[in-house]
Amino acid sequence: MMEIFARERTGIRVRLPKGLARFLSDVPGVLATVGLDADDPAAPRMNVPVYLDDPGSNAEYWRWTASDLDGGRRDDRSIFVRVVESAGAPKGIVVSEDEAAALLRVLAETRLVLAARMGIEVESDYEQMDEAQSEVLDLLAHLQLLLINELSA
Amino acid sequence: MIEPDIDEASDLDTPWKVVVWNDPVNLFDYVIWVLMELFGHSKDKASKLTHQIHHEGRAIVTDGPREQAEVDCFRLHRQGLWATLEQ
Repeated sequence: MMEIFARERTGIRVRLPKGLARFLSDVPGVLATVGLDADDPAAPRMNVPVYLDDPGSNAEYWRWTASDLDGGRRDDRSIFVRVVESAGAPKGIVVSEDEAAALLRVLAETRLVLAARMGIEVESDYEQMDEAQSEVLDLLAHLQLLLINELSA
Repeated sequence: MIEPDIDEASDLDTPWKVVVWNDPVNLFDYVIWVLMELFGHSKDKASKLTHQIHHEGRAIVTDGPREQAEVDCFRLHRQGLWATLEQ
């Protein structure tokens, strides 16, 4: 069975089965839509209030950090795209720990965005998900856990 | 003679707490990994904090001067964790 993430001397090798690579190649497009719709529930989850009792300080905080946060997320997605494009090849691609951490952030961000759009706000909301929704979140979680294992090795 | 404003002075000295809140999506192991990576917490400490977040709804993961606390909050947001600041 193909090992998706494997630690090597020079980094972490990423090899994706073709179907998984195709599925993951859609991820950046999904994330790029966050906030485009004014009612998108993913937008407030990805930009939470920081000073709960002080709207002025909160606005000030976001004025200074929003573009850096967005820029960082865009950088992560660029790495993600490059890795997914190459990881479908038989030998895959070897990434650095920093690049692997960027992949991990994109996987986490994707679960947060999809879960928010599925209406998951508390644990019990998982019971109302249909099978297809559940499979997507489980697959992304599985990839996260595999990658954490390699990053922690 | 001008008297020092004791309350204001103590407010400035009081460290800001960086709070991470429970959410039903981020994985337990991911939160532990993030707390170890960002703050250099041991696995044991990061695990205890993550359990606290899960069971009590929130935990203070670090504290410090306001500027540093804002940087730490930003770093947590980069990882997708739900973080806020309080004094």
